[in-house]
Formats: sequence, C-alpha cells, structure tokens
Amino acid sequence: MISMPSLYVHVPFCVQKCDYCAFYSHSLVNTPENLVSLYLEGLDAEMAKRQLDAPQGVSSLFIGGGTPTALRDQELEGLMNMIHRYFRMNQGAEKTVEGNPGTITDKKLDILKRYGINRFSLGVQAFDDKLLRAVGRIHTAGQAREAIRRLRTAGFNNLNLDLMFGLPGQDLKLWQASLEEALSYSPEHLSLYGLMLEEDTPLYERYTNKTEETNDKVAITGRITPLDPLPDDDLQADMHEWAVERLKQAGYTQYETSNFARPGYECQHNLGYWRGADYLGLGPGAVSCLTEVRWKNIEDVRAYQSRLQSGQDPIDEAGDEVLSLRERMAERMILGLRLEEGVNLTLFRNDFGVDLRDIYRDVLERYKDKDVFVFQGDYLSLNEKYSFVANSILKDFV
Amino acid sequence: MAQASQNIRNFSIIAHIDHGKSTLADRLIEFTGALSKREMEEQVLDSMDLERERGITIKLQAVQLSYKAKDGEVYELNLIDTPGHVDFTYEVSRSLAACEGALLVVDAVQGIEAQTLANVYLALENDLEIISVINKIDLPSAEPERVKQEIEDVIGLDATEAILASAKTGIGIEEILERIVTTVPAPTGDDQAPLKALIFDSKFDAYKGAISYVRIMEGRVAKGTTMKMMATGKVFEVTEVGVFAPAMRIVEELKAGQVGFIAASIKNVKDTQVGDTITDADNSAAKALPGYRKATPMVFCGLYPVDASDYNRMRDSLEKLHLNDASLVFEPETSVALGFGFRCGFLGLLHMEIIQERLEREYDLNLITTAPSVIYKVNTLKGNVINIDNPSNLPPIESITSIEEPIVKATILVPAEYVGAIMELNQEKRGTYLTMDYVSKSRVKLIYELPLSEIVFDYFDQLKSRTKGYASLDYELTGYKETDLVKIDVLLNGEMVDALSFIIHRAKSYNRGRKLVEKLRGIIPRQMFEIPIQSVIGNKVIARETVSAMRKDVLSKCYGGDISRKRKLLEKQKVGKKRMKQVGNVEVPQDAFMAVLKIDD
Repeated sequence: MISMPSLYVHVPFCVQKCDYCAFYSHSLVNTPENLVSLYLEGLDAEMAKRQLDAPQGVSSLFIGGGTPTALRDQELEGLMNMIHRYFRMNQGAEKTVEGNPGTITDKKLDILKRYGINRFSLGVQAFDDKLLRAVGRIHTAGQAREAIRRLRTAGFNNLNLDLMFGLPGQDLKLWQASLEEALSYSPEHLSLYGLMLEEDTPLYERYTNKTEETNDKVAITGRITPLDPLPDDDLQADMHEWAVERLKQAGYTQYETSNFARPGYECQHNLGYWRGADYLGLGPGAVSCLTEVRWKNIEDVRAYQSRLQSGQDPIDEAGDEVLSLRERMAERMILGLRLEEGVNLTLFRNDFGVDLRDIYRDVLERYKDKDVFVFQGDYLSLNEKYSFVANSILKDFV
Repeated sequence: MAQASQNIRNFSIIAHIDHGKSTLADRLIEFTGALSKREMEEQVLDSMDLERERGITIKLQAVQLSYKAKDGEVYELNLIDTPGHVDFTYEVSRSLAACEGALLVVDAVQGIEAQTLANVYLALENDLEIISVINKIDLPSAEPERVKQEIEDVIGLDATEAILASAKTGIGIEEILERIVTTVPAPTGDDQAPLKALIFDSKFDAYKGAISYVRIMEGRVAKGTTMKMMATGKVFEVTEVGVFAPAMRIVEELKAGQVGFIAASIKNVKDTQVGDTITDADNSAAKALPGYRKATPMVFCGLYPVDASDYNRMRDSLEKLHLNDASLVFEPETSVALGFGFRCGFLGLLHMEIIQERLEREYDLNLITTAPSVIYKVNTLKGNVINIDNPSNLPPIESITSIEEPIVKATILVPAEYVGAIMELNQEKRGTYLTMDYVSKSRVKLIYELPLSEIVFDYFDQLKSRTKGYASLDYELTGYKETDLVKIDVLLNGEMVDALSFIIHRAKSYNRGRKLVEKLRGIIPRQMFEIPIQSVIGNKVIARETVSAMRKDVLSKCYGGDISRKRKLLEKQKVGKKRMKQVGNVEVPQDAFMAVLKIDD
C-alpha cells in the first residue's frame, strides 16, 4: 500500500542569503531575471511527473527555502496555482509557507490565504538589530514586528516564529529579551535553533579560517570591528534551558528538541519527518524519501529545468540512496527520540519486523542505571534532561 | 691458509646518535664499490623506515667490503654495525667482541657523549684497536682541536693521529680505510681448531629460518656441518653459509676470522641468541666464548587493541616481530578496563616505543599503551618473593612485608655548567651520588645510583630539557633495593581502572596522585554524566577532580532534507568515539593511559 506522503516544495531564492545558511538558494540581487521562470518551468514538469507518487494526494504541504515570499506576486501565485493543479490535499491539511520579515506584503499574504495556506513560519531569529546584522539578516526587528502584525491581520492564526540562540555577541539577557518579545505576540508555535557553523558559509569562514590574530589586525586597521564572540556550549545550554522552562510556564510543550507549540498546534508536516513518514520534496535541492529510497534533486536551477524538459530525472550525481534496514531503523531512532512522545514501538515492529527492545538491547542496557530512556505505553522516549546532549546517545543507534 | 685471514679486518663504528655513523658507513661502502652509487640507497645499513626516520640503528647489520689498499693487497673488511642506544648495550658489546678494531666517530661540534664513552669502554674491554675519527669537520662550527683534546682527556686515547673527516662530503674516507688496514690487527683464530662462532645478531627469513650473523673465532663451518648452540644445547644441520656483500651471498665455507651468516632451518630466533657460541656438534669446542647473557627485558607495559576484535591480529603481529627480536617478550594479559591484551617486556623505553610504533604502522593496529613499569620484587608475609611487572597485580598491602625495586648505575656526561641541574634532577629522582669527575675542563662525568622506575618515568625528557640536550646517559642494572613503595589506583566514576594503577615511592605519592587526576581531567572529554576522578592508596582517597557533564551535544535541527547528512554526522561521531575506550560508562581517550608519564612533579 502506498501511504500518503507529505509534500515539500523548495524555493531556492532569497533577497540575500544569510551568513550562516548552507541551504541551496540564490540571492536575487545577483540572479539573472529568467532564473525564476526557469525554476517554475522545471517545477511544473517535476510536479507533472511526481504527482504519480501521491495518487491519493499529500498529507501536508510545506513551502520552504530559500524564501518563498521573496518571489514576486505573480510568481508566487503561479507557484501556488501549480501545486493545487497537481496535488490533492485533504480539507484541513496543514499548509505552511516560510517567509522572511523583509519580504512580507499584504498582497502576498492575500495570495497565500486564497490558496488555503493556513500556517505561516516567520524567520524572526532575534528582535535585536545588532544581532541580526551580525549574521547578515536582511531585515530589522521593526520589520519583524510589522510582519507579525500583517500576518495576524491577514488572519493567519497558526503562526510560527523562528528564533536563534548562540548568535555572535548574544548573551543570556539578549536571548531572554528576544524570546520574551516573541511570547508577547502569542505565537502558536516557536522553533528555537542554536546557531550552527556550517561549512562553506560566510560565517564559518569568518569564525574558523581566519585566525584571531588576523582578525585583531584587521580590527586595528579599523576596517572592520573585531568579531563578536560566539557563545560557548555552556552558555548555549543555559539559553536553551532557560527557554524550555520559560515556554513551559507560558503553556507551550516542547514536542521536539527545538520545537514548541501550544497544544494542538504541533507542526504536522515536520512530525511526519520525525515519525518516519514518506515525503516528496520538489524543486532544485529538495530531498524525497519513499520508504527506503531517498534522492536529492540537483542544486542547479538550469540543470534541473533542462533535465526535466528532456524527460530526465533531475536527481543529483549521488543518485538514489537506497537505505538499508539498519539505516532506516537508525533514522527512526535518531529522529523519533527528538520527539517528546518518542518512538512508537508497534509502528517500529510493523515497519521493520523486529522489536526495538531486542535490536537495540545493548544500547538500552548501557544506559540502564542512568534513566536515559523512558518506556511509556507504546513509546520509547529520551529522558528530557538529556535532550540537549542527545547526540552522545543517538550515535549508539547508528 | 694463514695467509687468508692476514687480509681480513673486522671493525665496527662507535658513535653517538646523529654523529654520522650511518652516513660514514654509506661512504665506506660506496668508496670500496660494494655498491655502485646508483645502487646506493641512502644509508644502506639502516634498512627499516623507522630507523631512517629516527636516524638510529635498531637492528644490527653487517657488510663485507673489498678494499685494494695502497700496499697493493686486497683486503676483506667486515663492518659490523652497532645500535647506538642505551637500551641495546649488550648487543653492542657482542658485536664489538666480534671485531678487532673500532672507529670512534665523534662529532666535531658536539664532542663526546655518554653513550659513546660507554661503548668505547666496551671496545677497550674487548681489546679493540680504536681509530679516532672526528666527523663533520666541514661544519663552520667544527672544533676538531677541542674534540681531540676531549678524546685524550676523557678516554685517554692519543688523539694526535685522529682522522679529520666529513662523511657527508667524503673527506677522510680513504684515510680511514688505510688506517683500518694498517692498524687494526688481523684476526688470529686457528682455523683448524674446533668451531667457535660468535652470534652477534640474528634475523628471521621466511625461507631460510632464523639466520645467525656470526664471527668465526676459530675453526670452520660449511653446509652440512652439524652445529650446536653452546648455551641452549640445541643442534641443527647447517644448510647455508655466506657473507654480506652487502646482500647475502652464499659461500663454500666460513673460517676463522671471517664474518658472515649461517642458516640451518632454525624455526625460532630464540634458538639463535646473541652472544651464544656455535660449535660443531661432532667436534665440539671445550668452552663457549665468554660474555653470553640472556637478553632480559627491563621495562614492561600493557599493550591493548582499542578494538577488541583486533586481538588475534595483534598476537600474530607480536609473534612476527618476535621472530626478529628475541628480546621482545609478551604474554596475554587481561585488564578489567581494557579487556584482552598483552603484557610486553622491552630492553628499555626506546625499544618499547619502537615496537609500539611498528605495531601501529606496519601492522595497522590501533593500540592503547599503559604506562611502563619495571619489575618489582615483592616479599610476602608467607615468605615468598613475587615478581610484579604490572602494578595492578600487586598483592594486598597487608600481605606484603617489603617491596624491592631495581636500581641502576647511571653515568651522565654533561657540560660543567649543568652539573647543578643534573644533581638537582637526580635528587628529585631519588638518586644516590656516587662519583663526579671532570673528564675535561668543561665536561663532567657524574655517576649516580638511581631507581630504574625513575628513569622509566620521565628522566630522559627531564635530562634533555634541563641541559638543553647536552647531557647524555648510560645505565646498567646493578641490583634491587628495598624501598617504601605504594600503589596508587585511579577510580573513574567510582570504578577502579586497573590499567591506570602505578607503583611509586611513598614520599612522592600524594603529589603524583594529585597531578595525575588533574591531568586526566584535562584528557577525558566531557560526557553525558559528571565523572569524578579519584586517586587512591588502598581505601584512602588522596585526590579528586571532576569532569563536569557535557551540556550541549545536539543537532539543532533535523528535517527531511537533512536526514542522511545528519545520520552520517552521527556515524562520524561514533567512529571518533571508537577511538576511545569504554571503561564502565566512561569513554577514555587512548592517551589517558599514558597520562602518568606526562606529569611534571
């Protein structure tokens, strides 16, 4: 039986990429005019092809990027229209669009609304201009406030705000201030991410390649200011812990390591990833996974479009990744244990034919006296006090 | 055929590490044409990579040179190479015993070092004719006159005739060869007497078995001779005899005065012990050659595979190394912390490092080495004497009446300005002052009695760092002495880690125990749980440190597009962890087990 996959659509364009971002995206400031239309042409062809993978429709929709709201009005409208032409969605299915506060207009929100978008995820990151500048965000805190107001006015009543901790120069106080302001807008959902230095990003280069010495030298010559220090692991842990407590108090549940929601507003699309459901990812750079086959589209709009035009799959050079049973089980564990609910034992047995208590006996034994694992009902979960050091445990499952 | 041995000269080279022995040997080989320049691999004699890297000779080699001297005669010159390190004194003494002469090579800049001196004394004991060579005279800082003076003052040799040479540029090479011919005596052994061949080295060959490198002192040996090892009594039939030219070349027979090899399908190098005498079983010599000693390991450590599944491969590798190195001993050992491994015995620290590195490089093993230990003699209440080479095997303190530790006589040569520093060091290392002599105006020879365990600890490094590398050391085991020793155990997370236990003098125990836990706190990475580290003597905790719990080790986000990458990230993290040893719930990096050696007292 083919289950209903979720649908992710990747929009590989931003006004300008942020310094920490490793996702595939073009900065529109230096992108030729026709690249967006090539993208939309390719996407149309891909959707025509891939709709066969979702004969019963898709369970949820997530349009991410990049910055979907960086598209021009008619491009955005074209995209929305295309999706609805090819994919059937249940009434009430969750449909999310991501956006950057610098790109939100009433017109765009109106288009989204008309196409049934019922959840919006806004990349706020911090309510602090200095912190925003430090990581190359294009918008100000003021624009974020304005965007939230527009979203609420437009009737988006399932709103997520992304916030980041561990930003250069951020201390606990600054973090608390951003989070408190976010709470003042009563978002239904909050995603709190620790800043990661990803290779091949400007931020990574800035903080790893150049020695402190050269930075200081540059500082002396007065060309740029010295780098703000990155909060260390302990400070990041303090930030995270404080947030967990504060949000609990404010009525949010931490249903996943980095995600918090008011009851009933958990992101269904993302829950699908963590629970091991199938997903279709369309657009250049997007990843799909149907049972044991995973593939990634090529990160190149032109190649993506031209391959699709000539009837080829736009898969990147790595080709299909066929997951072994072991890898699939490992993924189920490392994703499921990010969830408060944990990994469902029955589903695990149904999907893989073994009881996870048998196959991972040694790991479970290893941590027995440390109350790392919690068995409750049909679920195995990670004791919440270890969720911020989960890797040291999760690696035992891979 | 007395004439034949008239034209033989057997000699070796005595030099300190770096003083140019290998380069000089190369030049001699090249000059006499044993190998053409094209065939010459740099430093032919040091054939192991490791030797070349470290610039030292580990295994002895020999080479036969054919030299047409200025007198018109062709001479057979046998150069027997010697290892230049304190761990291998016995091997040196045996190869010197195979010679009539020695080249004393002294660096024109650095002068005489303790090791050189020790080997010169060995040569003099063996009545060798010594030819002084002052090497590296091409260096701008060369001081040949000062070094000559030093040779006279320190060794008491007449250095007026010393040859000034540069092995690097070829200066003095012919002069050295001429001097060997004219001053080194020809061997005198009677080739009609019963066979006496001195084994100065052995090597395992996959086809020929253990090959003995020999100097024939008396008599003859040929294929078919039934040979007998006089120390072990074992009998073999000779399958091949030959010379080193420098590759092995089979000859009809070897006779008194010659240097070469004997193969006899011997399965184990243990049966070809350095210093043993080979005789003819059918016409046995009455007495073996003097000086044979069984090679006795002095330093012991535990070697464990990081990955337990490598155990069998490790045993095979040790066996292979043992084929060529009878002085390496090993036996299976089990550690609660480290699992299955081996307790290995070595001639000294360098020998230990070499074996360890060869296992890792040549056999691709990932090893954990525990801190080296010496052999302690433990006298128990029941009146038994137990030898302990692994601190964790020390019986309970209540059952012990006393512990004795090995003592060495250490000879240190050092520029006079560092005498104070050396005395201070020896004081710290529980040394007993014996004598001090000014061997020249600027050089002092200090003789101390020191516990071997202190030398094994970090004596070398200290000696070098406190004298800017100018001091050199030689030592020999002199006996055992009762000492007030205690065992320190280390607990990680409340569990004793046997592989970290060590034995130490009581007066130093608190300080060392404290420093060790501090060091370990720096080495053991933060983990999910807080890890208390304690050092204890018996039940008494003498120091405690804590590795605080790790607070952040998490993937900040993980969505559909990222799952494969994140899984691989965790796989990588897992591989990194595999390089650590799981001791109870604690992951311990390999170098933690050597941490005790990295402490400054």
